[in-house]
Amino acid sequence: MSNAVVREFESLEGMPTATAEGLHNLLWALADTKLLLGYHYGEWTFGTPELEAAVASCSLSQSELGHARLLHALLKKHWGDDAETVAERREPAEFANIAFLDQPVDGWPAFVAMNAVVDLAATRVLATLQGSAFKPLRMSVDKMLDEERHHAHHGRGWFRTLGRRGGEDAEQLRVAAGNALATVAVWLGPPDDPGDRALVAAGIRNRPALEVLAALADDLRQLALEAGVGVPAPVPAVFNGWNPRTRRAAGSTGPADDILFHLRGDANALFKVGE
Amino acid sequence: MAVLPVYEVFARAKHDEPLKHVGSVNAADDELAKAYAWTLYDEESWVEMCVVPRAAIVPITAHGRLPVWGN
Repeated sequence: MSNAVVREFESLEGMPTATAEGLHNLLWALADTKLLLGYHYGEWTFGTPELEAAVASCSLSQSELGHARLLHALLKKHWGDDAETVAERREPAEFANIAFLDQPVDGWPAFVAMNAVVDLAATRVLATLQGSAFKPLRMSVDKMLDEERHHAHHGRGWFRTLGRRGGEDAEQLRVAAGNALATVAVWLGPPDDPGDRALVAAGIRNRPALEVLAALADDLRQLALEAGVGVPAPVPAVFNGWNPRTRRAAGSTGPADDILFHLRGDANALFKVGE
Repeated sequence: MAVLPVYEVFARAKHDEPLKHVGSVNAADDELAKAYAWTLYDEESWVEMCVVPRAAIVPITAHGRLPVWGN
């Protein structure tokens, strides 16, 4: 661990351009991922295997949307980004969420993979921002991580439950978890991403993306072992045409139109206050 | 269909208050019980919450009886 003195930033003033850009991109990636997680958890308020899971899913949705709002506030204050306006105007491929969330979560095993792998990936990235040299992030990060503990309990509990049940449920979970991890690997970015390196060098994040991926793969291996689920060998991520702003490789099309229609509230735009 | 274990949920709202029983959840394991208890019984900002498997509770009085001598 380096003992170099790290400069603290109250704002973007004096922050090197590459660092500010890397932070801007990372915050959008987290905000978009949490927005989409909130949407999918909300969708799964109904249709869960048991009532307690329905209440839990609704609660997870609320906290993810709350986290997205916290991140939006930071993006507005420091970069002048108006999240609502940006969400309305962006093309699907411009969303920087983990691509697993681009399509409807079409079954409970996929839901569990989203909870145990995708949600955890965003949380592990948040954890790299603990004690960040960018002071405005610190309190928000601690609050979000505190709430994310319950998300992790829910994801791990259901992963073990489905795994121990075996059969088709466990097989679907194995496939979905593998797909989830593959999309997370792309979202985390290539090892030589200059934005990632700039953030670590400036003490804004405490670990590079590559270490996050390794830790996440270990989490998943351990969980799969406990659950008796075989985890597919990790597929090397393809970063051809990878865009640091959207964290997508070439050809990734973004959230499905139907999901964006509901996220944006297109059908109810008429009722917006102040329009 | 398998019957899920029952966990009793206890919580306190202030540090100087005793833990009180706030309800119960059915859950397949301890971690799910924690997630369910936290999300289901969120009417207060608890400073402490815990779950106990009902099977781990040792009864002192017989169910439905007054605790008189000889129970």
